[in-house]
Amino acid sequence: MNDPVSSSPASPVAGSPAPGEAGDGPDGLRPWRRRRLLPSSPFYAVVRWGAAGLFAALVVGLVVSIVSQSSQAFTHSGISFLWSGTWNPDAGDYAGGVLVVGTVLTTLVAMVLVVPVGLGISVSLSELTPPWLAGPLSTSIEFLAAVPSIVVGLWALLVLSPVFATDVEPALEGLPVLGRIFHGPAYGPSVLLASVVLAIMTLPTVVALSRTALGGVPMADREAAMALGATRWQVVRRTVLPGARSGIAAAITLAVGRALGESIAVALVIGNRPAIPHSLLAPGATLGSAIVNQFAEASPGLGTSSVIALAGVLLLLTILVNVVGQLLVRARGGRRLLGVRGAVV
Amino acid sequence: MSTLPSIQAGLDGAMPDMGLAEAARRRLVVRDSARRSIGRRRTAGRAMQAICLIAVPIGVAPLVALVVATVSKGAGAVNVGFLLHAPTPEGVPGGGISTAIVGSGEIVAYAIALAVPMGLFIALFLFERPGGIASAVRFSADVLSGVPSIVIGIFTYAVFVERFHHFSDLAAGFALGVLMLPIMVRANEEAMRTVSVDLWEAGVSLGARRSRVARSIVLRGALPGVVTGNLLAVARGVGETAPLLFTVASPTFAMTLLIFNDATEPFPDAQQAAWGTALVLLALVLTLSVCARTVAWTLNRKTR
Repeated sequence: MNDPVSSSPASPVAGSPAPGEAGDGPDGLRPWRRRRLLPSSPFYAVVRWGAAGLFAALVVGLVVSIVSQSSQAFTHSGISFLWSGTWNPDAGDYAGGVLVVGTVLTTLVAMVLVVPVGLGISVSLSELTPPWLAGPLSTSIEFLAAVPSIVVGLWALLVLSPVFATDVEPALEGLPVLGRIFHGPAYGPSVLLASVVLAIMTLPTVVALSRTALGGVPMADREAAMALGATRWQVVRRTVLPGARSGIAAAITLAVGRALGESIAVALVIGNRPAIPHSLLAPGATLGSAIVNQFAEASPGLGTSSVIALAGVLLLLTILVNVVGQLLVRARGGRRLLGVRGAVV
Repeated sequence: MSTLPSIQAGLDGAMPDMGLAEAARRRLVVRDSARRSIGRRRTAGRAMQAICLIAVPIGVAPLVALVVATVSKGAGAVNVGFLLHAPTPEGVPGGGISTAIVGSGEIVAYAIALAVPMGLFIALFLFERPGGIASAVRFSADVLSGVPSIVIGIFTYAVFVERFHHFSDLAAGFALGVLMLPIMVRANEEAMRTVSVDLWEAGVSLGARRSRVARSIVLRGALPGVVTGNLLAVARGVGETAPLLFTVASPTFAMTLLIFNDATEPFPDAQQAAWGTALVLLALVLTLSVCARTVAWTLNRKTR
């Protein structure tokens, strides 16, 4: 309930502030906002409370409507909807297990790609490159964060996918050790291509947020490390990265959340085969892509309810990730929790 | 400074009769290992720096390729007729995307009408009333901003479309508004927090009503941040496809849906139209983001 920043003791101005109520502003100054001391017009109060109430109703309504609409699917398949079975509407089989696997797999591969590259870029822009290069470069990357996902999907489907089918995927299959996870015919649309698309889409977010975090580390910390004889890289590795830990964790969490929930671009390039992919080159399906592809042709009743249940599972996953992310960011001394240092190499 | 003599004594005790040659030899050992250490650390550091720098072209190349491809392939499709004509059936030349542009505009207008005032009032609520309820509202905003857009689309379908058996731009606007709302709330609140407490107190001590203080001091001070945050949220909403998928009657009534539809068509004409629409959309979104930043910059300079 309290931000970790809040440290203000009971305020002297207000009559009797409840312990949890004082100061969650960045400066801990809140006592002047005590309500009863000041006159307020009823209209303004009604509008404010009305907006907040509507908002609460909206959030509750979202959860309740998705849960209630998906109840038919859960009574049909039981709680095992979450993990077991196959998705085959023609045979009347509805279960989200393979889709959860596909979602987690694509997100995981995307993060393996985007975290090192994103951190490398943000470290370069923040610490290594001269300002005349870093400034314009980071501004343009931030603008690219606004590129709509459908545009990325279009490009991936019409430009990237043929390249993958003819060049990239056969090359990957020939790799000595890693070739094992890249076997099978190269179609173009595949789990790998979907992961690459997710990585491209989340990269600007990761770079923008972690660069902000790196920039927030005080210059004095860097100077102190240099004064102890640290090389430039040691300053980055031992001082700047640990100092920006929580911001980087937040950036990665946000990227994971976006990658889990992205549906349109993934639906265009993953090949849409709701089965456990035996290789990264095989087509697959995620929760989001299955919702996009199945919803229009779902039979009324159980079919629709099952697709809405998929949305419910996706909602659960993303909320879980966000809550865990919040906890990670707030945890103090949680250096080892996310392995940020390990992720940098 | 009583410790120094004792250290000296300790050193003397440790090496009582070290000759000059021995001292020089030890100095050399220390210097040598220090040199090796810095050499090792420099080499390792240079290698790591090189790896970081290599990441820049690796990461930027696909983004650049994406924009270049959209511009080069879209430029061939976009002309005045493309913007002003309605889509034609496959095989009939001269089709445009006017319905999609109008439809997208309408949907976004509904979304703005819903989300901007709501976002402002919720942020004012958070600003004026700290405590448990505000924390709950703030937490809900965080949760809602993490909800995938496709889930919001499904929610809107369940609440509006299924109930009234009717696809509509209004439902799509609602979905986009729900998507934009949490972004706006958090941006507005952040902007309001930059307003100095003294100014608020000064306003209240003049006897002004709180609504008046909110309008003339809080909103006025927070204006650059509010405008930027809201414009960025609108830019995000314009480019969304998933919430419209189950709420808009036909893919020709929204630009993003049109791209999604045409991208999967095998006909070159359709793909050409998809590229053209993508270019229009990209230009719109980037213009909005640039506006967001320049507005903030100009207003900031004016108020300071």
